[in-house]
Amino acid sequence: MSGMALRDSAHLEPGRVTAGVLAGVVHVVFLAFLIFGLDWKTQPPEGIMVDLWSSLPPPPPAVQPVIKAPPAAPKQVEPPPPEVKPSPPKPEAPPPVKADIVLKEKIEKPKPIEKKPIEKKPIEKKPIEKKPVEKKPPEKKQVEKKREEEKQRVQKDLEEQKAKEQEARITAEVEQLRQEQEANDKLQQLAAQSHLTDLMAEYKAKILAKIKRNIVMPPGLPGDPVAEFDVTLLPGGDILHVRLRRSSGYPAFDSAVERGILLSQPLPLPPDPALFSRFRNLSLKVHYRE
Amino acid sequence: MNPAVTQDMSFFHLVGTASLPVQLVMVLLLLTSFLSWWFIFRKMFVIRHAIRQSDEFEDVFWRGSDLNVLFQSAAASRHSAGSMERIFEAGFREFIKHKRQPGMDTSAVMDGTRRAMRATYQREMDRLESHLSFLATVGSVSPYVGLFGTVWGIMNSFRGLANVSQATIAHVAPGIAEALIATAMGLFAAIPAVIAYNRYSNNIDRLATRFESFMEELSNVLQRQAAG
Repeated sequence: MSGMALRDSAHLEPGRVTAGVLAGVVHVVFLAFLIFGLDWKTQPPEGIMVDLWSSLPPPPPAVQPVIKAPPAAPKQVEPPPPEVKPSPPKPEAPPPVKADIVLKEKIEKPKPIEKKPIEKKPIEKKPIEKKPVEKKPPEKKQVEKKREEEKQRVQKDLEEQKAKEQEARITAEVEQLRQEQEANDKLQQLAAQSHLTDLMAEYKAKILAKIKRNIVMPPGLPGDPVAEFDVTLLPGGDILHVRLRRSSGYPAFDSAVERGILLSQPLPLPPDPALFSRFRNLSLKVHYRE
Repeated sequence: MNPAVTQDMSFFHLVGTASLPVQLVMVLLLLTSFLSWWFIFRKMFVIRHAIRQSDEFEDVFWRGSDLNVLFQSAAASRHSAGSMERIFEAGFREFIKHKRQPGMDTSAVMDGTRRAMRATYQREMDRLESHLSFLATVGSVSPYVGLFGTVWGIMNSFRGLANVSQATIAHVAPGIAEALIATAMGLFAAIPAVIAYNRYSNNIDRLATRFESFMEELSNVLQRQAAG
């Protein structure tokens, strides 16, 4: 009996390995088919998508803030150190006043940054002040005095020139800072905008979904006609006015869409009333085939 | 969020993001499918081989060769012999043994020979039919297993939908697609298994009929020899 069993197992051997290999091949083919099938499927939905645009098209900035956001942070970190040092010399220099005026337009942050240049001024002035002190001891002759006075005048002129230069420098720096500040503001705006676009996209999708649900599509139209409507909204989502901007060429489809839009009121709107302005005038584009 | 989901609908992404029960079901089905395909190919080779050997043996047998010579060659090549050859060998061996014993009734000799042949026949049938029940089980159960994975996945994706105020198809579509992969795998395992099971059991039935009629014919030949 055991001899029989051995013989049987020996008899079965030859096909086993090839069978295993073939089974593996079958599964690889199946997997490849699944992958290809699914990748092929992802494209059609994009083509069928229905677009809804409000009058402002903000999509491109959505990507940028993400990249630019990190550099914005270090810029804001740098300014704080000068904030503490320059406070005492403030009264001496005239230019900061100008800077303040410029700054009033902006947010508080930049103020300390402009004081940075002021710090340099006193340091430069000190040596200038010392010079006259040194020359005072030989004060005996008036000529020398005059010369000294002249020298002092020249020096004062020089000082004034320097002051002007510095002023110019300060204004330049202020300008630069302002630009940075503006860039920061822009970035923040962009970030806010991207959030806004997300929100808007969400509500556009909701609006469209609601309208789609209410459209009774006329059967059997050839191709993929597109009807475009301008919709004016009231706060709260009620529809003030619906106008056919571009007909699809099939009156039945146009009127079906219009009925669907009117049936959908109140349209879903974001809870923030500030956003309503973006939804006041909607242009809807409805494709026949979904 | 929605566009990102639709763009990332690759097969591996779907499988990777599936919930644990669904992934377990998928692994189980992959294993089952692999096993069932392995058995399908193995049985295919075995049955094809059995049919060819039976053809050859019947050819030789009915050409009217000497039974003793046939028995010698069958006994010599028992490791590579086909089922029919083995049935013949077992029956003839029993027949010779009985014949050597003096005073044996012909019907008793034939009974013994028949029993020996039937025993070998049953053993051979058992060998041919082995693993067929596995194919039958895979064919009937794996769709349900796949369906279980799908139902579980769909349940999950609908539960996720409950928290969304404005439900769109985009919220559930990825979950359903991912869950449906389980059904696809179940069907992929089940369909070939069912086809193979039906085909192979039919082949084996026909072989069994051939073996049985051969046994009857051989007993007739042997009875003639015993009487003569």
